[in-house]
Amino acid sequence: MASKNKSRVVEKSNGEVMAFSEGAIRNNAMVVEYCRTSMAALGGGTAGILGLTSLYGFAFYIFCAVSIWLLLLLKAGPQWEKYFTSRSSLLSSGLSGGLITYVLFWTFIYGMVHVY
Amino acid sequence: MSSSMNKYMFILGIVLLFHAAYSAAQHRSYLRLTEQEFTSLPADIVLQTIFSLLLAVFGVTMIAGEFKEIRSNIDLQKKTWKNLNNRPSFYTFNHRGHIFNPIAFSRSSSGKGALEAN
Repeated sequence: MASKNKSRVVEKSNGEVMAFSEGAIRNNAMVVEYCRTSMAALGGGTAGILGLTSLYGFAFYIFCAVSIWLLLLLKAGPQWEKYFTSRSSLLSSGLSGGLITYVLFWTFIYGMVHVY
Repeated sequence: MSSSMNKYMFILGIVLLFHAAYSAAQHRSYLRLTEQEFTSLPADIVLQTIFSLLLAVFGVTMIAGEFKEIRSNIDLQKKTWKNLNNRPSFYTFNHRGHIFNPIAFSRSSSGKGALEAN
């Protein structure tokens, strides 16, 4: 209860002070992380099935990242400002972490489908 | 859309993805047996793979959980002043109420009443 009521105070550029709820921010970050991880795993599997190699695979990762971003914005609806502080950080945060998962699944499924 | 619908979409996407993987493996073994070069997968497998990926990811996104409003005054708006001002550590029970209401005090103490004590 006590941690739920904690708030983070941010001063905007125009001097307006906003207080954000720490618990809500953490909840949203957890949801986004969950989506990102599953997207990396599923997208890696898809790249493996398609038999993408070298730079095509990484281009497909960028396609995956953009599509999960669009899906998250679709889920948040038109009033995304209620849930996130910025849209661009939603796209860029966790890109490198997801890439590891992506490459793991990519190589695994590629090996399963195309090599053996 | 209901959450069970999203769950079914996710499961359908995964199943279709597995089916596409199986088809791709079949295609690869067919090419190997007929001794042809692999250039690219047939278009229907590619389409099915991408479609099922989008289906599964859409399902996951909807399953993942609801977003919460990050502005903290949303939480505080629901609370009344009585709730916010409630500090259990500073409760005091030893106040002058027993002088104004001697009946209640005499009932709680054994033997002597409040007025005799004074």
